[in-house]
Amino acid sequence: MIGPHSSPNMRVIGILVVPFVLMFGVYVIAHGHYGPGGGFAGGVIVAVAVIIVRMIAPRNLSERFFPPGLPLWLMVGGMGLFVGIGVLAVAWGGDVLDYASLPLPGDDSRRRYLSILLVEFGVGAAVSGSMVFIFDLLASLERDS
Amino acid sequence: MIWEFDLLLFALLIASAVVAIRVRQLVATVAVLSIYSLLAALLFANMGAVDVAFVEAVLGSALSGVLMLIAVLVTDNVQTKRSRKAEWVAIPAVLAMVGLMLWASADLPDRGIPNSPAAEGVATEYVENSLADTDTPNVVTSILADYRSFDTLGESTVVFTAALAVALVLRQGLVRRRRPDPGPNPGPDPDTDRNHNSDHDSDRAAP
Repeated sequence: MIGPHSSPNMRVIGILVVPFVLMFGVYVIAHGHYGPGGGFAGGVIVAVAVIIVRMIAPRNLSERFFPPGLPLWLMVGGMGLFVGIGVLAVAWGGDVLDYASLPLPGDDSRRRYLSILLVEFGVGAAVSGSMVFIFDLLASLERDS
Repeated sequence: MIWEFDLLLFALLIASAVVAIRVRQLVATVAVLSIYSLLAALLFANMGAVDVAFVEAVLGSALSGVLMLIAVLVTDNVQTKRSRKAEWVAIPAVLAMVGLMLWASADLPDRGIPNSPAAEGVATEYVENSLADTDTPNVVTSILADYRSFDTLGESTVVFTAALAVALVLRQGLVRRRRPDPGPNPGPDPDTDRNHNSDHDSDRAAP
Protein backbone atom coordinates (compact mmCIF):
# COMPACT_ATOMS: atom_id res chain seq x y z
CA MET A 1 0.00 0.00 0.00
CA ILE A 2 1.43 3.34 -1.05
CA GLY A 3 0.11 6.53 0.50
CA PRO A 4 -0.15 10.00 -1.03
CA HIS A 5 2.81 12.35 -1.18
CA SER A 6 3.16 14.37 2.01
CA SER A 7 5.01 17.43 0.68
CA PRO A 8 2.88 20.61 0.63
CA ASN A 9 4.66 21.83 -2.52
CA MET A 10 3.50 18.79 -4.46
CA ARG A 11 -0.03 19.19 -3.13
CA VAL A 12 -0.38 22.86 -4.08
CA ILE A 13 1.11 22.38 -7.54
CA GLY A 14 -1.00 19.27 -8.08
CA ILE A 15 -4.26 20.96 -7.07
CA LEU A 16 -3.43 23.87 -9.37
CA VAL A 17 -2.59 21.62 -12.32
CA VAL A 18 -5.34 18.98 -12.13
CA PRO A 19 -8.31 21.01 -13.53
CA PHE A 20 -6.27 22.09 -16.54
CA VAL A 21 -4.99 18.58 -17.22
CA LEU A 22 -8.53 17.24 -17.04
CA MET A 23 -9.82 19.98 -19.33
CA PHE A 24 -6.99 19.36 -21.80
CA GLY A 25 -7.75 15.64 -21.82
CA VAL A 26 -11.40 16.21 -22.71
CA TYR A 27 -10.32 18.81 -25.28
CA VAL A 28 -7.93 16.35 -26.93
CA ILE A 29 -10.67 13.71 -27.13
CA ALA A 30 -13.23 16.14 -28.55
CA HIS A 31 -10.83 17.98 -30.85
CA GLY A 32 -9.48 14.90 -32.63
CA HIS A 33 -11.36 15.90 -35.79
CA TYR A 34 -9.24 19.00 -36.25
CA GLY A 35 -5.88 18.35 -34.66
CA PRO A 36 -3.60 15.65 -33.38
CA GLY A 37 -4.98 13.44 -30.67
CA GLY A 38 -8.21 11.59 -30.18
CA GLY A 39 -9.65 9.03 -27.85
CA PHE A 40 -6.45 7.26 -26.99
CA ALA A 41 -4.21 10.24 -26.15
CA GLY A 42 -7.06 12.15 -24.51
CA GLY A 43 -8.02 9.16 -22.40
CA VAL A 44 -4.46 8.84 -21.17
CA ILE A 45 -4.38 12.55 -20.24
CA VAL A 46 -7.64 12.22 -18.29
CA ALA A 47 -6.15 9.21 -16.51
CA VAL A 48 -3.04 11.27 -15.69
CA ALA A 49 -5.24 13.92 -14.04
CA VAL A 50 -6.87 11.28 -11.85
CA ILE A 51 -3.48 9.76 -11.03
CA ILE A 52 -2.14 13.18 -9.96
CA VAL A 53 -5.05 13.44 -7.51
CA ARG A 54 -4.35 9.90 -6.31
CA MET A 55 -0.70 10.83 -5.71
CA ILE A 56 -1.27 14.03 -3.72
CA ALA A 57 -4.70 13.94 -2.06
CA PRO A 58 -5.54 12.00 1.10
CA ARG A 59 -7.35 8.74 0.45
CA ASN A 60 -10.86 9.89 1.40
CA LEU A 61 -10.65 13.00 -0.80
CA SER A 62 -9.23 11.22 -3.84
CA GLU A 63 -11.87 8.51 -3.52
CA ARG A 64 -14.58 11.15 -3.47
CA PHE A 65 -13.04 12.78 -6.55
CA PHE A 66 -12.87 9.48 -8.43
CA PRO A 67 -14.46 6.47 -6.69
CA PRO A 68 -12.38 3.27 -6.85
CA GLY A 69 -15.25 1.41 -8.51
CA LEU A 70 -15.51 3.92 -11.35
CA PRO A 71 -12.56 2.79 -13.57
CA LEU A 72 -14.09 -0.60 -14.24
CA TRP A 73 -17.42 1.01 -15.15
CA LEU A 74 -15.60 3.48 -17.43
CA MET A 75 -13.83 0.61 -19.18
CA VAL A 76 -17.02 -1.37 -19.65
CA GLY A 77 -19.03 1.73 -20.59
CA GLY A 78 -16.48 2.90 -23.15
CA MET A 79 -16.19 -0.49 -24.80
CA GLY A 80 -19.97 -0.80 -24.65
CA LEU A 81 -20.40 2.56 -26.40
CA PHE A 82 -17.99 1.54 -29.18
CA VAL A 83 -19.43 -1.95 -29.69
CA GLY A 84 -22.96 -0.58 -29.24
CA ILE A 85 -22.50 1.92 -32.07
CA GLY A 86 -21.17 -0.87 -34.26
CA VAL A 87 -24.09 -3.16 -33.50
CA LEU A 88 -26.71 -0.38 -33.72
CA ALA A 89 -25.55 0.31 -37.27
CA VAL A 90 -26.48 -3.27 -38.10
CA ALA A 91 -29.84 -2.86 -36.38
CA TRP A 92 -30.60 0.12 -38.64
CA GLY A 93 -29.75 -1.82 -41.77
CA GLY A 94 -26.07 -1.01 -42.39
CA ASP A 95 -22.84 -2.95 -41.99
CA VAL A 96 -21.01 -3.25 -38.68
CA LEU A 97 -19.63 0.20 -37.70
CA ASP A 98 -21.21 1.78 -40.79
CA TYR A 99 -21.93 5.12 -39.14
CA ALA A 100 -23.96 6.55 -42.03
CA SER A 101 -26.87 4.22 -41.29
CA LEU A 102 -27.22 5.38 -37.67
CA PRO A 103 -30.32 7.46 -36.80
CA LEU A 104 -28.41 10.71 -36.17
CA PRO A 105 -29.29 14.18 -37.52
CA GLY A 106 -27.77 15.57 -40.73
CA ASP A 107 -26.60 13.99 -43.96
CA ASP A 108 -24.26 10.98 -44.29
CA SER A 109 -21.01 12.86 -43.65
CA ARG A 110 -22.51 14.66 -40.64
CA ARG A 111 -23.66 11.35 -39.16
CA ARG A 112 -20.15 9.91 -39.61
CA TYR A 113 -18.73 13.06 -38.00
CA LEU A 114 -20.95 12.71 -34.92
CA SER A 115 -20.36 8.97 -34.63
CA ILE A 116 -16.59 9.50 -34.79
CA LEU A 117 -16.99 11.86 -31.82
CA LEU A 118 -19.00 9.24 -29.90
CA VAL A 119 -16.49 6.52 -30.72
CA GLU A 120 -13.61 8.74 -29.60
CA PHE A 121 -15.34 9.31 -26.27
CA GLY A 122 -15.86 5.56 -25.97
CA VAL A 123 -12.18 4.86 -26.61
CA GLY A 124 -11.21 7.67 -24.23
CA ALA A 125 -13.38 6.28 -21.44
CA ALA A 126 -12.07 2.75 -21.96
CA VAL A 127 -8.43 3.85 -22.02
CA SER A 128 -8.63 6.23 -19.04
CA GLY A 129 -10.58 3.64 -17.06
CA SER A 130 -7.99 0.96 -17.82
CA MET A 131 -5.05 3.16 -16.84
CA VAL A 132 -6.57 4.30 -13.53
CA PHE A 133 -7.64 0.70 -12.88
CA ILE A 134 -4.05 -0.55 -13.28
CA PHE A 135 -2.70 2.34 -11.18
CA ASP A 136 -5.14 1.67 -8.34
CA LEU A 137 -4.31 -2.02 -8.34
CA LEU A 138 -0.56 -1.40 -8.29
CA ALA A 139 -0.86 1.22 -5.57
CA SER A 140 -2.94 -1.12 -3.41
CA LEU A 141 -0.15 -3.72 -3.34
CA GLU A 142 2.07 -4.00 -0.31
CA ARG A 143 5.79 -3.77 -0.33
CA ASP A 144 7.56 -7.09 -0.70
CA SER A 145 10.44 -6.56 1.70
CA MET B 1 12.94 17.92 -41.44
CA ILE B 2 16.52 18.80 -40.54
CA TRP B 3 18.92 15.88 -40.75
CA GLU B 4 21.38 17.31 -38.20
CA PHE B 5 18.56 17.51 -35.67
CA ASP B 6 17.49 13.96 -36.52
CA LEU B 7 21.06 12.75 -36.06
CA LEU B 8 21.31 14.48 -32.67
CA LEU B 9 18.01 12.95 -31.56
CA PHE B 10 19.10 9.48 -32.68
CA ALA B 11 22.40 9.81 -30.83
CA LEU B 12 20.60 10.90 -27.66
CA LEU B 13 18.06 8.08 -28.13
CA ILE B 14 20.76 5.42 -28.31
CA ALA B 15 22.67 7.03 -25.43
CA SER B 16 19.58 7.03 -23.21
CA ALA B 17 18.88 3.40 -24.09
CA VAL B 18 22.44 2.44 -23.07
CA VAL B 19 22.15 4.47 -19.83
CA ALA B 20 18.82 2.79 -19.04
CA ILE B 21 20.50 -0.61 -19.29
CA ARG B 22 23.64 0.30 -17.35
CA VAL B 23 22.03 2.15 -14.43
CA ARG B 24 21.54 0.01 -11.29
CA GLN B 25 18.83 1.99 -9.48
CA LEU B 26 15.47 1.08 -11.00
CA VAL B 27 13.94 4.50 -10.26
CA ALA B 28 16.69 6.03 -12.39
CA THR B 29 16.03 3.46 -15.12
CA VAL B 30 12.37 4.50 -15.22
CA ALA B 31 13.36 8.17 -15.51
CA VAL B 32 15.80 7.44 -18.35
CA LEU B 33 13.17 5.34 -20.15
CA SER B 34 10.82 8.34 -19.98
CA ILE B 35 13.53 10.45 -21.60
CA TYR B 36 13.90 7.75 -24.26
CA SER B 37 10.17 7.92 -25.02
CA LEU B 38 10.26 11.70 -25.17
CA LEU B 39 13.14 11.61 -27.68
CA ALA B 40 11.25 9.01 -29.72
CA ALA B 41 8.22 11.32 -29.67
CA LEU B 42 10.37 14.20 -30.94
CA LEU B 43 11.63 11.97 -33.76
CA PHE B 44 8.06 11.04 -34.72
CA ALA B 45 7.03 14.70 -34.66
CA ASN B 46 10.03 15.56 -36.81
CA MET B 47 8.83 13.00 -39.36
CA GLY B 48 5.40 14.65 -39.44
CA ALA B 49 3.58 11.89 -37.56
CA VAL B 50 2.14 14.28 -34.98
CA ASP B 51 -0.59 11.94 -33.75
CA VAL B 52 1.88 9.14 -33.08
CA ALA B 53 4.25 11.59 -31.40
CA PHE B 54 1.44 12.84 -29.17
CA VAL B 55 0.50 9.35 -28.00
CA GLU B 56 4.14 8.42 -27.49
CA ALA B 57 4.80 11.56 -25.42
CA VAL B 58 1.67 11.13 -23.30
CA LEU B 59 1.71 7.38 -22.87
CA GLY B 60 5.37 6.44 -23.20
CA SER B 61 7.04 9.27 -21.37
CA ALA B 62 4.38 10.18 -18.80
CA LEU B 63 1.96 7.44 -17.87
CA SER B 64 4.01 4.28 -18.34
CA GLY B 65 6.79 5.95 -16.34
CA VAL B 66 4.38 6.54 -13.46
CA LEU B 67 3.07 2.98 -13.62
CA MET B 68 6.61 1.54 -13.66
CA LEU B 69 7.56 3.84 -10.78
CA ILE B 70 4.67 2.49 -8.72
CA ALA B 71 5.74 -1.05 -9.61
CA VAL B 72 9.27 -0.25 -8.41
CA LEU B 73 7.91 1.22 -5.18
CA VAL B 74 5.85 -1.85 -4.33
CA THR B 75 8.67 -4.24 -5.15
CA ASP B 76 12.31 -3.24 -4.87
CA ASN B 77 14.50 -0.45 -6.19
CA VAL B 78 17.74 -2.38 -6.75
CA GLN B 79 18.31 -4.49 -9.80
CA THR B 80 19.46 -8.05 -9.22
CA LYS B 81 22.91 -8.89 -10.54
CA ARG B 82 22.92 -10.09 -14.13
CA SER B 83 25.00 -13.08 -15.04
CA ARG B 84 28.05 -12.33 -17.17
CA LYS B 85 27.58 -15.50 -19.19
CA ALA B 86 24.28 -14.31 -20.64
CA GLU B 87 26.00 -11.30 -22.18
CA TRP B 88 28.23 -13.54 -24.32
CA VAL B 89 25.10 -14.88 -25.99
CA ALA B 90 23.00 -11.73 -25.90
CA ILE B 91 25.43 -9.20 -27.34
CA PRO B 92 26.27 -11.14 -30.55
CA ALA B 93 22.58 -11.96 -31.01
CA VAL B 94 21.59 -8.30 -30.67
CA LEU B 95 24.37 -7.18 -33.03
CA ALA B 96 23.33 -9.80 -35.59
CA MET B 97 19.71 -8.62 -35.36
CA VAL B 98 20.73 -4.96 -35.79
CA GLY B 99 22.84 -5.89 -38.81
CA LEU B 100 19.97 -7.87 -40.31
CA MET B 101 17.53 -4.99 -39.88
CA LEU B 102 19.96 -2.41 -41.29
CA TRP B 103 20.54 -4.70 -44.28
CA ALA B 104 16.80 -5.14 -44.79
CA SER B 105 16.13 -1.41 -44.39
CA ALA B 106 18.18 -0.74 -47.54
CA ASP B 107 15.29 -2.25 -49.52
CA LEU B 108 12.67 0.03 -47.98
CA PRO B 109 11.41 2.93 -50.10
CA ASP B 110 12.63 6.37 -49.05
CA ARG B 111 10.38 8.27 -46.70
CA GLY B 112 7.83 10.51 -48.41
CA ILE B 113 8.30 9.37 -52.02
CA PRO B 114 4.91 9.40 -53.74
CA ASN B 115 5.01 5.95 -55.41
CA SER B 116 5.90 3.92 -52.35
CA PRO B 117 3.44 1.09 -51.62
CA ALA B 118 2.14 2.85 -48.51
CA ALA B 119 1.19 5.98 -50.47
CA GLU B 120 -0.63 4.14 -53.27
CA GLY B 121 -3.86 2.23 -53.49
CA VAL B 122 -6.46 2.73 -50.81
CA ALA B 123 -4.46 5.41 -48.92
CA THR B 124 -4.99 8.02 -51.64
CA GLU B 125 -8.70 7.22 -51.57
CA TYR B 126 -8.81 7.99 -47.84
CA VAL B 127 -6.85 11.22 -48.16
CA GLU B 128 -8.92 12.50 -51.08
CA ASN B 129 -12.38 11.62 -49.74
CA SER B 130 -12.00 12.10 -46.01
CA LEU B 131 -13.46 15.61 -45.88
CA ALA B 132 -16.40 14.81 -48.15
CA ASP B 133 -17.16 11.49 -46.44
CA THR B 134 -16.81 12.43 -42.81
CA ASP B 135 -16.52 16.24 -42.43
CA THR B 136 -13.22 15.57 -40.67
CA PRO B 137 -10.15 17.59 -41.71
CA ASN B 138 -7.75 15.39 -39.72
CA VAL B 139 -7.30 12.36 -41.96
CA VAL B 140 -5.68 10.36 -39.18
CA THR B 141 -8.82 10.59 -37.07
CA SER B 142 -11.17 9.72 -39.92
CA ILE B 143 -9.02 6.71 -40.89
CA LEU B 144 -8.72 5.49 -37.29
CA ALA B 145 -12.32 6.05 -36.23
CA ASP B 146 -14.23 5.54 -39.47
CA TYR B 147 -12.48 3.85 -42.41
CA ARG B 148 -10.53 1.50 -40.18
CA SER B 149 -12.78 1.62 -37.12
CA PHE B 150 -12.74 -2.15 -36.88
CA ASP B 151 -8.98 -2.00 -36.21
CA THR B 152 -9.56 0.64 -33.55
CA LEU B 153 -12.23 -1.55 -31.98
CA GLY B 154 -9.65 -4.32 -31.84
CA GLU B 155 -7.06 -2.01 -30.27
CA SER B 156 -9.49 -0.83 -27.59
CA THR B 157 -10.34 -4.45 -26.87
CA VAL B 158 -6.61 -5.16 -26.45
CA VAL B 159 -6.27 -2.34 -23.90
CA PHE B 160 -9.41 -3.50 -22.11
CA THR B 161 -8.26 -7.12 -22.00
CA ALA B 162 -4.75 -6.16 -20.91
CA ALA B 163 -6.13 -4.15 -17.97
CA LEU B 164 -8.32 -7.06 -16.95
CA ALA B 165 -5.38 -9.48 -17.23
CA VAL B 166 -3.21 -7.18 -15.07
CA ALA B 167 -6.05 -7.07 -12.56
CA LEU B 168 -6.29 -10.85 -12.45
CA VAL B 169 -2.52 -11.29 -11.97
CA LEU B 170 -2.24 -8.60 -9.28
CA ARG B 171 -5.36 -9.70 -7.39
CA GLN B 172 -3.86 -13.18 -7.26
CA GLY B 173 -0.76 -11.71 -5.58
CA LEU B 174 -2.91 -9.71 -3.16
CA VAL B 175 -4.88 -12.77 -2.08
CA ARG B 176 -1.79 -14.90 -1.64
CA ARG B 177 0.06 -12.27 0.34
CA ARG B 178 -2.86 -11.36 2.59
CA ARG B 179 -3.59 -14.92 3.63
CA PRO B 180 -0.70 -15.65 6.05
CA ASP B 181 -1.05 -12.28 7.79
CA PRO B 182 -4.67 -11.53 8.70
CA GLY B 183 -3.62 -9.06 11.44
CA PRO B 184 -3.55 -5.23 11.20
CA ASN B 185 -1.67 -3.74 8.26
CA PRO B 186 1.93 -3.11 9.40
CA GLY B 187 2.76 -0.79 6.48
CA PRO B 188 6.14 -0.55 4.77
CA ASP B 189 9.28 -0.80 6.83
CA PRO B 190 10.73 2.73 7.22
CA ASP B 191 14.32 1.41 7.24
CA THR B 192 14.11 -0.23 3.84
CA ASP B 193 12.40 2.89 2.53
CA ARG B 194 15.34 5.06 3.51
CA ASN B 195 17.95 2.68 2.18
CA HIS B 196 16.52 1.89 -1.21
CA ASN B 197 14.90 5.09 -2.33
CA SER B 198 17.43 7.85 -2.28
CA ASP B 199 15.64 10.73 -3.94
CA HIS B 200 12.07 11.86 -4.39
CA ASP B 201 10.14 8.87 -3.17
CA SER B 202 11.74 8.75 0.26
CA ASP B 203 9.32 11.29 1.67
CA ARG B 204 6.27 9.26 0.73
CA ALA B 205 4.46 8.57 3.96
CA ALA B 206 2.81 5.31 4.81
CA PRO B 207 -0.94 5.74 5.19
